[in-house]
Amino acid sequence: MTKPKVASDWLAGCAGCHMSLLDIDERIVTLVQAADLRATPITDLKEPDETGVAVGILEGAVNNSANEEVAHRMRSRCSVLVALGDCAVFGGVPAMRNFFPLDEALRRAYIETESTDENGKIPDDPELATMTRARSLQEVVPVDIFVPGCPPSADAIFYVLNELAQGRKPVLKDEKLSWI
Amino acid sequence: MKTFRSMVLVSSDPISMKRGAQDVFDRLQAEIKAYGLDEEVSLAMIGDVGRHDALPLVIVYPEAAVYGPVNAEDIHLLVDEHLYKGRIAVDLQASNRELSGKIAWLNTRKGTLPAEQRIVLRRAGIIDPTNIEDYILHDGYTALGKALTESTPIQVIDEIKKSGLRGRGGAGFPTGTKWGFVAKEKSVKKYVICNADESEPGTFKDRLILEGDPHSIIEALALAAYAVGADEGYVYIRGEYTLAQERLKLAILQAKEMGFLGQNIFGTAFNFDLHVHSGAGAYICGEETALLESIEGKRGQPRTRPPFPTTHGLFGKPTLVNNVETLANVPPILLNGATWYRSFGTPSSPGTKVYTILGNVNVTGLIEVPMGITLREVIAIYAKGMKGGENFKMAQTGGSSGSIIPASLQDTPMDFDSFGKAGVALGSGALLICNEDTCVVDLAKVLLNFFRTESCGKCFPCRIGTQRAWEMLDAIASGRATLKTLDQLMDLSVNLYNLSNCGLGQTAGTPIKDILTYFRAEVEAHIRLGVCPAGVCNTKEAVH
Amino acid sequence: MLNLTINNQPIEVTEGTTVLNAARQAGIEIPTLCDHPHLTPFGGCRLCMVEIDGFRTLQSACTIPVTNNMVVRTDTDKVKTARKFVLTLIFSERNHFCPYCQVSGGDCDLQNAAYGEGMTNWPLPPNWQPYPVDASHPNFILEHNRCILCRRCIRACSELVGVNTLGVEERGAKTFVIADLNVPLGQSTCVSCGTCIQVCPTGALIDRKSAYLGHEKNLDIQKTICVGCSLGCGIQVVSRNGQVIRIEGDWDSSVNSGILCKTGRFAPLADDRERLTTPLVRNDGALQPVSWEEALAAVSAKVQPADQVAALVSTRQSAETLHLFKHLFVDGLKSSMVTSLEEGSATTLPSQFAASKGKAFEGTLKDVEQADSFMIFGADLVNQHEVAGFFARRLMQNGALLVVIDTGENPLNNLANCALTPKTGKELDLLTGLMAAISRLGQNKAGFTGDAIAVMNAAAEISGVSTDLLLEAGFKFASTARPVIIYDAAHVQNLDVFNALVRLAEISGAKLVNPKGGANSLAAAQYNLDKPFRLNGHKAAYVVLGDEIPSERLVKALEKVPFLVVQASHTSKLTAGADVVLPVTNWLEQDGHYLNAAGQLQKAEKSLSTSGTDVRTNEEALKGLAQQFNLAAAGDWKAELLQRPSPVEITVQAA
Repeated sequence: MTKPKVASDWLAGCAGCHMSLLDIDERIVTLVQAADLRATPITDLKEPDETGVAVGILEGAVNNSANEEVAHRMRSRCSVLVALGDCAVFGGVPAMRNFFPLDEALRRAYIETESTDENGKIPDDPELATMTRARSLQEVVPVDIFVPGCPPSADAIFYVLNELAQGRKPVLKDEKLSWI
Repeated sequence: MKTFRSMVLVSSDPISMKRGAQDVFDRLQAEIKAYGLDEEVSLAMIGDVGRHDALPLVIVYPEAAVYGPVNAEDIHLLVDEHLYKGRIAVDLQASNRELSGKIAWLNTRKGTLPAEQRIVLRRAGIIDPTNIEDYILHDGYTALGKALTESTPIQVIDEIKKSGLRGRGGAGFPTGTKWGFVAKEKSVKKYVICNADESEPGTFKDRLILEGDPHSIIEALALAAYAVGADEGYVYIRGEYTLAQERLKLAILQAKEMGFLGQNIFGTAFNFDLHVHSGAGAYICGEETALLESIEGKRGQPRTRPPFPTTHGLFGKPTLVNNVETLANVPPILLNGATWYRSFGTPSSPGTKVYTILGNVNVTGLIEVPMGITLREVIAIYAKGMKGGENFKMAQTGGSSGSIIPASLQDTPMDFDSFGKAGVALGSGALLICNEDTCVVDLAKVLLNFFRTESCGKCFPCRIGTQRAWEMLDAIASGRATLKTLDQLMDLSVNLYNLSNCGLGQTAGTPIKDILTYFRAEVEAHIRLGVCPAGVCNTKEAVH
Repeated sequence: MLNLTINNQPIEVTEGTTVLNAARQAGIEIPTLCDHPHLTPFGGCRLCMVEIDGFRTLQSACTIPVTNNMVVRTDTDKVKTARKFVLTLIFSERNHFCPYCQVSGGDCDLQNAAYGEGMTNWPLPPNWQPYPVDASHPNFILEHNRCILCRRCIRACSELVGVNTLGVEERGAKTFVIADLNVPLGQSTCVSCGTCIQVCPTGALIDRKSAYLGHEKNLDIQKTICVGCSLGCGIQVVSRNGQVIRIEGDWDSSVNSGILCKTGRFAPLADDRERLTTPLVRNDGALQPVSWEEALAAVSAKVQPADQVAALVSTRQSAETLHLFKHLFVDGLKSSMVTSLEEGSATTLPSQFAASKGKAFEGTLKDVEQADSFMIFGADLVNQHEVAGFFARRLMQNGALLVVIDTGENPLNNLANCALTPKTGKELDLLTGLMAAISRLGQNKAGFTGDAIAVMNAAAEISGVSTDLLLEAGFKFASTARPVIIYDAAHVQNLDVFNALVRLAEISGAKLVNPKGGANSLAAAQYNLDKPFRLNGHKAAYVVLGDEIPSERLVKALEKVPFLVVQASHTSKLTAGADVVLPVTNWLEQDGHYLNAAGQLQKAEKSLSTSGTDVRTNEEALKGLAQQFNLAAAGDWKAELLQRPSPVEITVQAA
């Protein structure tokens, strides 16, 4: 029987959730014995298999049109979609930008930062993605599994991936259910 | 007391006055005197009757002839033809077709139409509401006198119970039973309260009773107080009803002067004092416990129940709270008997109901008809059909906490039980009749907007749920929703019913449930096709 | 007794119990947010909904009273759906960022409820509307983004302390917690009692000093007694790694039931005085660090002949310390000038009166809690003994009467039904006039002799308080069922005025309650440490200052003393001018017994340790000194405490 394929990607995230995933340390050996890790931000493949993967994992909030594309693509190519980390689950840190008008946030980021000199400029290349409100993943595509945490603990991540690899639905509770 | 054979009323609203109503009035006075009729014809100015294209109006009773627009030069002809010779001055009459709802009934009350029966509104518009003698002349305070001198409180309650009178504020609770609950409480101090908050959108029936026949409420409250053992009462009138408050305060003053209020009424041991308390713009204060909080000077927020007002009401004492229309039925029942009352309406819902007809119909306004009439009859007979011959799509009953009635329920008798069986609510009696130009999503959105702004904010499901529901309906209306939104809305509706602390939250989900039950395809069209079939919603305004 | 079942478990409860309390009694968990065991049920959050047979809709367990044979279920799908629904709505209402909140991770009732339902996400997203943060108050912050409008803070401010600063404005989704008529908290009528912080279920109310310093499961919590004043409120000292981070009211204390004031809750954490760490002896004009042996030897060398040493002790010290102090200086060194820093100002007259009567005569805080009217005679219940003031204020808003008699501007004047301001020195006339007024109105419960009208008029003339006011105050006060007179003995001029107060209490049927002074004010009186302080050629003075802040008056009084020994925890002007300084523990670092104003003897427990330092407890320091003088062992502190007739009945607090 072929191992289930797993692909992941990150949107408007800090990559901390993927780092937490790596914190499963030697259990990664168990994981790759049970599942086939395909495209991830830390492997070579760039996109999830067109033929589809069993489990898709997305970290980070949906921040702009490019994130939307990635989210839609992952959703269409996976059976089970996992929202990894607080940003994907409810919006997380990027969602704090929603309190301010977009142009104010961009000014702060590109012109008023302490390390920017007087040549600060908000990027406006037409090829760049269009900014949107920072949204949780479920506001854009249907999500199957939520793994909250900032980041979720390595134990929680391993538990979820292992359960999915064994064909079971993970149920997070007690120490594995944490929103911080 | 003087009796007149004719009464002449001149409209005196600002527009009429601008168009010379004062001259008309003065001329009338002069002409009537000139003809020697001033002992037989009474003349008075009245407020806004709403016919803004035919002002100033002159209305002559008892024929209920409506003349307008009238200017001073017409007066001689009017007095000569109508008051002296007794013939309608046809040339001066305002044309029927343009009559607005507010005085439409004037032409219908001569019994030319079937089934309309005025019990609660029998005196409104006929007597001078600022004159207690006029009230007395029309059976006023007779029921109170009889009850106080010939019946015991228990007998009074029994008669009300036998009559089958049910609450007209929207809940339909058997009035006699409620009176019984308060009566059996052992307490030296009890209160009776008339709920005149009338904040359901589209309902203005209580206003007409209070403005047109304020003494009937005083008498009814006195009867209620006698029956349950109270000696003090309040009429809680919404702040916006300034004329009603004025009229009621004046009526109370007059009643006191004549001894119908105060100590030893009708020479018996019964004492009763009545106060008017003004609301201040909160729909939630129509909920009886929020109303009590408001009178006590606190934030208008419903209490937790139990305990109920019948045991722990105003200032902790047993309190009876009844709607204006409910109370207005009490004196006639006691005067004419429960059997007489039961001759109107249906077995489960005896008596009459005042309906306010609004919407896309030819004639809007107020009617009082026996319970059991159907929506189709109301539209055909009283509303004179849909405007422009359009099709009937749905009706929204009872203010916002009623139901949305589709065409399939047009022939269901409008009484509490029949409607209850059909799964819809009668509510307070407002009938908003809609044609196909009304979008169900837009209507639901408007209703939810009302709920979210009027929610008191105490209980979480209502405070947050009505806000979220409105947002979801707004999303549907602007083409931003998905089918999942409909499931979320239905969930909200069910949970609002199960979890809310009071009727506002509990019924806030009704419009949602109704449109999803009866008009699901139309709602889905907004989502699946991005189209509003009624052409109302701007489904393209999706913003990200 | 009523019987019901919850999830098939049979339970027996008394009439009037709510379903929620029945469940709590049986150990069945029903999650709540707006409910709090010490506040009236609100019924707003609808999280505690349960299924009850015979009811059409779900019912809120916190408000519905149990009826006989009720069948309740808390574990059905309908209930679980309801709970998830309520929680979903709450998270969609405002902005709940768990990752950086100080109560996240176990101390947040909202988060715990969500965990309890296994919620891994928010089914309804919020609309990210920003809410303001009110950081204008020196002791806490109100973060509106986290507020769930449970109204616990408002109910606490109203029902527990009767100050009513907090309220809500607007309605529906615009409902918003405000202070007064929407002013920043720092400019409001808030009295900094901190009860709101203690009851807030989420991270909305943030205690500045303790935020982010640890989750409760990692903190050390010690129940003890506050020594800020004589009321003796039960507190919980919350510390971590030997540092106090927060003080909370002890809900289980029978004295204050969880309420505190700013003196008890916040003042200790704002104490930034320098600690004394080693004994000091003045050599060549400057204080030099020495060992305890050297310091004690220096003291015993100079503190002779015995009766030329004056000794003072702080009433913040425990009964054991006070007893040891008395044993040393009165019995041992036979000094003639031994007293407390309070000098008996708040206890002398009552003690004298108790002695003359041979028994106790005062009421207690319990009488205050159950009163339906108050007469305040000179007491400042807004700036001192605040918790007693809270008890009165919360009853006043429910109709309890307040009469204030004060020669000056009393802070409760504006809340009083009757505020009487007699001219200074004319209190006796006023009281006499009041008694005459009461007898005038047939309320005479203990007899008044003389011409009442004449007495009243004379009283009005002399004291400056009108006869109308005398009649009004007298009549209203004496017509109530459970009147209480709260008097400040320090403001009672002399025994005549005191006797008049006692008579007034008799005539009006009122209980007399005296808040007294500092923590062990009554104990000091019981040990006869209540003389006025007067230096008369004394060659030395010994001050057990402890952690008290010395007053300017004290510093000045002791300036000229040739040899001054100060036993203190912190540096101050007094220690700066001393000849020997002995470093001792503060109130948190020592234990001992305290006799509160109501006569209850309570044990204060140590919360912090000073082991490994050169700091000793006050008791140890005094024992060390006693050894220097080879004194016999001290007697039984408790027995000696009970010897003198006490103005209030002394009871021993159950352990």
